Amino acid sequence: MTLNPQYAWVRRLIALAIFLAIWEAAARAGMLNPIYVPAPGKIWLALVELFGDGRIWPHLEATFGAALGGLALGIVVGIALGILAALVPLIAELLEPIMTLLNAIPRVILAPLFVIWLGIGIASKIALAFILVTVVIFFTVYTGIKQVDRKLVERIVTLGGGRLTLARHVYLPSVAAWVLGNLKVAVGFAFTGAVVGEFVAASRGLGYLLGFAQSTYNSALMLALVLLIMVVVLIIFAVAGKLEKYLLRWT
Amino acid sequence: MTLSYGGEPVLEGASLDVEPGQFVSLVGPSGSGKSSLLRAVIGLQRPLSGTTDTGLPANQVGMLFQDDALLPWKTARENVALGLRLIGVNSQAADREADIWLARLGLTGFENRYPRHVSGGQRKRIALAQVLARKPKLILMDEPFASLDAIVRSRVVKDVVALVESEGISVLLVTHDLEEAISLSDAVYLLGQGPRAHIIQRYDVPIPRPRDPVKSRLHPAFTPLHAKLWEDLSKEVDHRAEEAA
Ligand SMILES: Nc1ncnc2c1ncn2[C@@H]1O[C@H](COP(=O)(O)OP(=O)(O)OP(=O)(O)O)[C@@H](O)[C@H]1O
Ligand SMILES: [Mg+2]
Repeated sequence: MTLNPQYAWVRRLIALAIFLAIWEAAARAGMLNPIYVPAPGKIWLALVELFGDGRIWPHLEATFGAALGGLALGIVVGIALGILAALVPLIAELLEPIMTLLNAIPRVILAPLFVIWLGIGIASKIALAFILVTVVIFFTVYTGIKQVDRKLVERIVTLGGGRLTLARHVYLPSVAAWVLGNLKVAVGFAFTGAVVGEFVAASRGLGYLLGFAQSTYNSALMLALVLLIMVVVLIIFAVAGKLEKYLLRWT
Repeated sequence: MTLSYGGEPVLEGASLDVEPGQFVSLVGPSGSGKSSLLRAVIGLQRPLSGTTDTGLPANQVGMLFQDDALLPWKTARENVALGLRLIGVNSQAADREADIWLARLGLTGFENRYPRHVSGGQRKRIALAQVLARKPKLILMDEPFASLDAIVRSRVVKDVVALVESEGISVLLVTHDLEEAISLSDAVYLLGQGPRAHIIQRYDVPIPRPRDPVKSRLHPAFTPLHAKLWEDLSKEVDHRAEEAA
């Protein structure tokens, strides 16, 4: 039997529905301990409740604020450092080992440190999202600039282009292309940073709610939150994907 | 000219002339320094000694590379227009001129295409339009047709010859292809095997212009000249191999 790829999503939805139905049935038959594995209906109720009384919004706002703030800062600083390192050998020499180190460790382990330094407010979450993003962007830009196609550079030079022309027509678009190519990774990192930061210590945010759900053994709420975070990130991925597709339409 | 990348000189005492309006080819073994010589002429590489004097301002010398090296994020029109902007043409006039040259090279309707979304032959034409739009007096070509299949190649070459003849442009063409060199050129220079390569000989091509690059292969002077060039090139390669052994 050959599968029509066009209808893959239908088959997946059906499979998911069957899975959920079995899960729900098993839960109702008392085969699953509700403390560990709540029924899908319960998870849905928890989700409805979060939105129903509106208490989710400040948390969503906090997480979004931290993630997008860290993302923006991380991209700007990552690009700036990447360009500087590519242009100034001394800066490259100093920055490379630091960035390589930061790249090698799981950067979320810095979360407790940021809480001590910056408090339990949004600053420590932005800092974590920032550090996660900026390292990726730095390497993207730095290696990207060093690998700018020599031939393109020579071509513009033979057409009489100087440094400014090269920067504007060759380097800038290349850098933009690499950053856009890594936008989804950066977005994922930004949300990881925000949520983990909140999970470690916070008074608001999706990560905070996760911690709350954990301490109260409320697995329905926990799974509802996981679901919510997944949906949020998927929506942002879709937006980033559209942006990437439009701006990189020449590829 | 003598030219080195740091070690033993690639070229030593290599010298050639291109008269105004002449189509001149440079052939020679692989690695002999043909590309290096062109790069020196356009100023991408500084010779150890000797000079390259085109007698022309830099913006009247164009270069066509083996690969098209168009900016992938710019459309055909934008690529051609950029070349014009860089010699001081304002942006509207540059766009207009770009369209005219693209049309002249048979690319009407492709103005808004990106280089990666057109065929190899079309890319070559865009690159050619970019160079020709600047109305150069001299064009340096480094195996610009090598990547094209035979049919596309002969069509692009035909267009190039027609435009070059009608505009009175001088050309210095580097090629591996002896037949191409003879059928297109007024004179062919043979560069010896490197290192320390120098010009072995200059061959004048007595085929009249205007030329059809395909039909000029049927001219009585073609075959003997081809045989002679081939013999001299083989001799040079063998000679160097013996020397090395
Ligand atoms: N950037 C470079 N650095 C060091 N050596 C180089 C460089 N570019 C070329 N060479 C050397 O110079 C010599 C001549 O190279 P060049 O590319 O000019 O040869 P060519 O005649 O164009 O060869 P081909 O027909 O294969 O294109 C070669 O031995 C090559 O290895
Ligand atoms: Mg070459």
